[in-house]
Amino acid sequence: MDFKDIKILICDDSMFARKKMSMFLSSLGVENILEAADGEEAVSKYKDNNPDLVFMDIVMPKLTGIDALKAIRDYDKKAKVVMASSVGTQSHLKQAIVLGAFDFVQKPIDDAQVEKIIRNAMK
Amino acid sequence: MFAQFFGAYLLNNKLVSPETLAQAIDDKKNTRMRLGVLAINAGLMTAEQVEHVNVAQQSVDKRFGDLCVDLGYLTSADVDRLLSEQPTDYLLLGQTLVNNGTLTNAEFESAITAYKEHYQLSDDDISNNQNDKLSAIVKDFFHFNTAENARIYTEYVTLLFKNIIRFIGDDFTPLEASIVNDAEAEFIVRQKIHGKYTADVCIACPRSEYIDFAERFAKEELSDADEYVNEIVGEFLNVNNGLFVVNESNQLGIELSLDPQNYLHDSSVKFDCPAFCIPVAFAFGEVEFIISIT
Repeated sequence: MDFKDIKILICDDSMFARKKMSMFLSSLGVENILEAADGEEAVSKYKDNNPDLVFMDIVMPKLTGIDALKAIRDYDKKAKVVMASSVGTQSHLKQAIVLGAFDFVQKPIDDAQVEKIIRNAMK
Repeated sequence: MFAQFFGAYLLNNKLVSPETLAQAIDDKKNTRMRLGVLAINAGLMTAEQVEHVNVAQQSVDKRFGDLCVDLGYLTSADVDRLLSEQPTDYLLLGQTLVNNGTLTNAEFESAITAYKEHYQLSDDDISNNQNDKLSAIVKDFFHFNTAENARIYTEYVTLLFKNIIRFIGDDFTPLEASIVNDAEAEFIVRQKIHGKYTADVCIACPRSEYIDFAERFAKEELSDADEYVNEIVGEFLNVNNGLFVVNESNQLGIELSLDPQNYLHDSSVKFDCPAFCIPVAFAFGEVEFIISIT
């Protein structure tokens, strides 16, 4: 699989978390990386750019990751949104599954898990 | 984590000074265990017997272990077993303090015996990093049994120390906690956990320690306490609190949620109810972790 052809949107209110994820994706060869700092921006950037995959934090200002997931899936039923959060509780997992999240990763994010998820998403 | 609380035990019993302990924590990575300290820790030899072998070794060209066997203190099997075991961190700390003359073998023997007795620790507990024993040490050390939410404080702080070791480093000593109603510091990161109960948690420290703490977590060099550094320290708190919330959900079915973090500069925080302020002495300075649970 050629990572350079994939477009990925990272949505996290932490600049540090975005930078870490972005650096890892770059190391895989992903060239088209978009960033959003809150749920509202994530929805807007999704609509404007139609990324192949979204990594979405949950606890964020303006619009939570769960609300942003719902908005994105309402807009595009085929959207692949991976919830990447420090709060992987049973209720969040259930909510994310019901709303059609593609996968869930618990922070601190494991790079190998992220790579596996991308490969699965691009199959 | 047993090593950090052994350090705290030595400090509280005035067996070491904060400066000597900090130096020993730094030096222990280059320390090689010696058979005498291993035998004392295993309860196979007394400090007096170790000293006897040390003296005897000055007049005989024999290895320490061989002399112990000749003198009937250890069997060959004991020597082989002790030397093959992976040294635990608290033993390396003890050996470093014996090597640099801070503790005699007798003082080490007395301290390690008292530490294990106080917390009812066996060598297996320490080798296997037994979680219930770690929690018991945390609860006793910080006197959480006096708190209304003793279980939550104990679980939270045990996890916090595990995450400090995992993400920041193991070169620290937990210091005695105090009860506070507010916190004041050059830099404070605060996050609240909501649900069946509320936990109000802060990391507070001066500028230099704030940057050093962030550097450890981010694994990158940082020069200024700017918004990026705020977010790094905030992310540590968020990751720790997230893992705590997940544990509460998975183990007890308690559903909690996190607020976004707040960042305060040259400011103070007032807590709704008294909080435990836990100072932690790192090699780079002191950082306070303040927790109030209602």
